[in-house]
Amino acid sequence: MRGFMTLLWLEYRRSRVWGVALIGSLAFWAWGLNQVNVRDIAEQLGIRAVLLGIAAALGGLVLSFMIGRIRSETRQGQYQILLLTPPAGYVHVAVRYVFALVVAVPYFTGIGGLVWWIVGQTGLSLDAGTVAQLVLVCPLYAIGALLIPLLSWTLLLMIFVSAYRISGSGWIPGTVMVLGSPFVLRWYSDWLIHISYTLPGWRLFEGVRALIASTTWGAEIDTSGVTALVLPQEPLWGMFLLAVVMLVIAGRIWQEVEG
Amino acid sequence: MTHAFLIVVRILLVVLIGYWGYRLWTGMTSWTSRGVAAVFVGALAWQVIGGGL
Repeated sequence: MRGFMTLLWLEYRRSRVWGVALIGSLAFWAWGLNQVNVRDIAEQLGIRAVLLGIAAALGGLVLSFMIGRIRSETRQGQYQILLLTPPAGYVHVAVRYVFALVVAVPYFTGIGGLVWWIVGQTGLSLDAGTVAQLVLVCPLYAIGALLIPLLSWTLLLMIFVSAYRISGSGWIPGTVMVLGSPFVLRWYSDWLIHISYTLPGWRLFEGVRALIASTTWGAEIDTSGVTALVLPQEPLWGMFLLAVVMLVIAGRIWQEVEG
Repeated sequence: MTHAFLIVVRILLVVLIGYWGYRLWTGMTSWTSRGVAAVFVGALAWQVIGGGL
């Protein structure tokens, strides 16, 4: 446990600038959203949704770079705290992951908060349940189904590539994994789509239709197409399981190479 | 002509992927690394042989 806390402190010292910059970038995105002054509400929401989509994608990219900085660090010999007492590979992997998630959760719930803010600017007053779904449930679902597997894959890629460094295999491990991953992911996601909705789905935003109809602009548009969002559970659990398996494999490689 | 050309390209790709697999298998004593390499090399080879690429 002490090794974990020491490495977490080291990770904080190493990556705090990345984390603070990422969370601070939400202020920039809020400013950018505020600059969108299109009169048509649908168009305004569309442009703002694209901006927030870019913010989410950039957040995922920055976190991937943050968690994947292993090559340069191993060369600088930062992993050995004291001579002959290197912490276990699993601890290294867990520490990196915990720190990345500590940055990711406020960032993506912050994006959920920005969505709430821009929805509020249209005159739509959401109830507490809908706000919680928008600010907490949707970001956490996206983190679980997309970001967590992405970070695990990045970590596994970097550890896999670094493990082969001493054998002089060069670019072969990285190339094989990067080229092969889309095919493996496609087979896995096809299976997840196939089993989706076997378990009961999670119904979100059920009261939004009535809320839209109660606004001045909502009364003028056809809201018959606005229905509750039913999120399947299986992709979340499936991707979460995949992420855990990749993390265990990454830790195991670290142990076998260094241990 | 095109068909024959594609067959040659696929054979060359399988040889290349096989070489990568050999390098990854012999370049590491870690069985987990070999396993990961086998999964991705296998996926690539399957795509080439099965016509996905």
